[in-house]
Amino acid sequence: MTVNSDKILLVVEDSNEDFKMLQRLMRRMAVKNPVYRCIDGDEVLKFLDRQETGNSEAIPLPSVILLDLNLPGLDGRDILARLKQDGSLKEIPVVVFTTSSNPSDIDLCYQRGANGYLVKPMDSEKLQKTVSAFVSYWLDANTPPVSDRSN
Amino acid sequence: MSDFETPISHQSKPIDRPGSIQPHGVLLAIAETELEILQVSNNTQVYLTKAPEALLGQPLSSLLDSEQIKAIAKILERGQGNPNALKLSIPTLEGERYFNTIVHRLAEEATIILELEPTDTLAESSFLNFYSLARSAIAKIRSCSNLDEFLALVVEEIRSLTGFDRVMVYQFDDKGAGCVVAEAKEEALSPYLGLHYPAIDVPPEAKALYSRCLLRLIPDVSASPIELLSIESREPTSLDLCFAGLRSADPCFVEYLQNMGVAATLVISLVRESQLWGLISCHHQTPKAIPWEMRTACEFMGQFIALELAHFVDRQESEYLVKLQALQAEVVASISRIDNLRDALVQPQPRLLGLAGAAGAAICLDREITLVGDTPTLEEIDALIEWADPQVEDFLFSTAALPKLYPEAIAFKEVASGLLLLRISQLKRYYILWFRPEVIQTVNWAGNPSESVRVEEDGSITLCPRKSFELWQESVQFSSLPWKSCEIESALNLRNAIVGIVLSKAEELAKLNQELERSNRELASFAFAASHDLKEPLRGIYNYSTILLEDYASRLDEEGVEYLETVQGLSVRMESLVNALLRLSRLGQQELHLKETDLDELLARVIDVFRASRPDSQLDIRIPRSLPTIECDPILANEVFSNLLANASKYNDKPEPWVEIGYLNPQECQSQSLLVPQEQSSTAIVFYVRDNGIGIQSDYREIVFKLFKRLHAQEKYGGGAGAGLAIARKIVERHGGRIWIDSVYGEGATFYFTLE
Repeated sequence: MTVNSDKILLVVEDSNEDFKMLQRLMRRMAVKNPVYRCIDGDEVLKFLDRQETGNSEAIPLPSVILLDLNLPGLDGRDILARLKQDGSLKEIPVVVFTTSSNPSDIDLCYQRGANGYLVKPMDSEKLQKTVSAFVSYWLDANTPPVSDRSN
Repeated sequence: MSDFETPISHQSKPIDRPGSIQPHGVLLAIAETELEILQVSNNTQVYLTKAPEALLGQPLSSLLDSEQIKAIAKILERGQGNPNALKLSIPTLEGERYFNTIVHRLAEEATIILELEPTDTLAESSFLNFYSLARSAIAKIRSCSNLDEFLALVVEEIRSLTGFDRVMVYQFDDKGAGCVVAEAKEEALSPYLGLHYPAIDVPPEAKALYSRCLLRLIPDVSASPIELLSIESREPTSLDLCFAGLRSADPCFVEYLQNMGVAATLVISLVRESQLWGLISCHHQTPKAIPWEMRTACEFMGQFIALELAHFVDRQESEYLVKLQALQAEVVASISRIDNLRDALVQPQPRLLGLAGAAGAAICLDREITLVGDTPTLEEIDALIEWADPQVEDFLFSTAALPKLYPEAIAFKEVASGLLLLRISQLKRYYILWFRPEVIQTVNWAGNPSESVRVEEDGSITLCPRKSFELWQESVQFSSLPWKSCEIESALNLRNAIVGIVLSKAEELAKLNQELERSNRELASFAFAASHDLKEPLRGIYNYSTILLEDYASRLDEEGVEYLETVQGLSVRMESLVNALLRLSRLGQQELHLKETDLDELLARVIDVFRASRPDSQLDIRIPRSLPTIECDPILANEVFSNLLANASKYNDKPEPWVEIGYLNPQECQSQSLLVPQEQSSTAIVFYVRDNGIGIQSDYREIVFKLFKRLHAQEKYGGGAGAGLAIARKIVERHGGRIWIDSVYGEGATFYFTLE
């Protein structure tokens, strides 16, 4: 399925293997959207900082962020909180993508403003379905926030 | 002044049997059965125009007619508590004379006593007369709301009723000493309010008399007493004149009154619960006759006042008790709410003092003493506790005369003449002390010091109020107001409450500990079991991927081989994670094998292993000085050093990486103002592993110790499970030590730890 190619996806994932899997699935689904990746909190914040001169050429803000919780350094849950507390970043939808099915994690993430919560299944078919649903909704159907923030 | 200790008159004649009467009336003692006149006062000539000899041994009928005798008999029949007065008309050589007569019987001596006082008329005093005198006074007294108001009103009313120059209420304390607690007087007189008397001023015999006979009237203090004459077989002084209103006054008492300038006195006893609570004492500067109705009214008032008094005193006491209990409840609630015992007791300050009615308190919790209110100094209290502790009985030691028992207390007698010491725990040295000031400090008498001090020719000073006050002051030197039993009980209840709460908290803690221990054990055994089970499929994954790589590599393309190798790598990584989990759970369960360990040797071995596993490492390992020998588990200590060394090596991006391993003894820690975490004692040796690596931001200095937590992606800095620090911390904590980090981000990090 082809999708609107101007919606940008940011994946925050430290595991190379997991990211490769994701890439593979998206390739199969012929996703044309630009996909960026950060491996820890510092990289994410730097990437999203539109004040930095390196970013002032219009890489627009992502339309959706896929966020792993188990990250080195700053924990994914804390990154979520930071994003949702920042005036210019909180509108970006954040979908948590994690192996944790712990109810208190689910509760915590939604409390902090997560827009969705996807549990990484072991089963490859289920994983495919999950990623497919994600792509179909967030990169196609959904209308992202107005992305003109490049100054 | 020895005169006071043993008043002479009391040695020679008991005051209830003086063998004489006051001159304003006539007394006859009559045998009960035969009605023979046994004793008469020596003034019958004056009043009855009959010589005593003419009456002694004669039957009563020689003086009174049969009607009168019948009337007397009737009174006696009715018994005590009923009106015992009648009017008698007696013929004398100077015509009929009228007498107010009081009759009472001495059962033991089988004697009837008649006291006759001359009066103008035979008319019976009407009830209304007498009642109207008392009524308004009673109504006012009824409307009082507290004891002090009541007593003030009592003296005012008695004064306006009787017209005495001065009316006072004395109150006796538990030692028998007296104090003037209310006074109504002529303006010109100097006040006696607040005056204290030593107990000896109203000796026990006098107090006993006042308890039995409730009204005492001496209309003319200086009048000479009239002696009693009796028939031969009777001693005049054997007659018990306790209930005789005419009974003559004790010479000592007379002298005292005269020194005070008092010429007439009326005393009404105030008895509560069969004890003499105090006296209403009226003084007049000139002789004063009190008409009969007045006397009766006063007697009645006295009874009424005593009843109301009892009511007020009871109320005062029960109000005090309620107040104490309320304070106690507050303190107990406070203690259960607030964790810090000292704070709960001390704040707010008045509460702790109010618990025992004290002016100062000290809370001693082991070495720490907290002072509240007026107290001796810390050193003085320390010494006091040492001295008092052996005397504690049933958790308490109390005294109202501390300096008399413990001479060192003379130095601080103003604040602590009274001590109530409560021992909460001897083992832990937990005490609460309450202090009371010397009584003298709290008593002010506004009397004129120069008045009524009579100095005799021989230089001795006679009886007078000033002298009394001085004597009283002497007698209460070094003592405080006594501790009431309700106050002592209050202290004991406090102790029980504290102990109760502490015990229940300890129990709670013990239970919690038990729970935690149980849950830890469960967790440990769970982790142990799980890790074994987890390893099995892992082995499978690894082995099968290896087979594929070895046997099917030719049929796979590059990417395929890469994927398989990734599988292998992942399963290896999984295994090391499971191993770390297993290690950690084992550390929780196993025993430490403590041994004297030479750390130099140990470190040398660690370094050997390190070099062997990383032959390419450029790491410069510096050991500034020889490490000490300490008691620890050598295998575990080895692991700590290994892990820290490995980290120092991995997380380093400098061209010339180095690591320094050393220690600081306690003095060096202090001199370098090394901030040791609070729980650590200041006597431990602190080891350190310092590097010039990438450093750790302050935010992450705690979370790096979390199991599997890394700060970087897998491929950076040599990878790893993220378990090394978690294991190191577990080992350090099992030794009872602590591990912590100091670091400048980007420049290096120092790991400090103790093993004891």
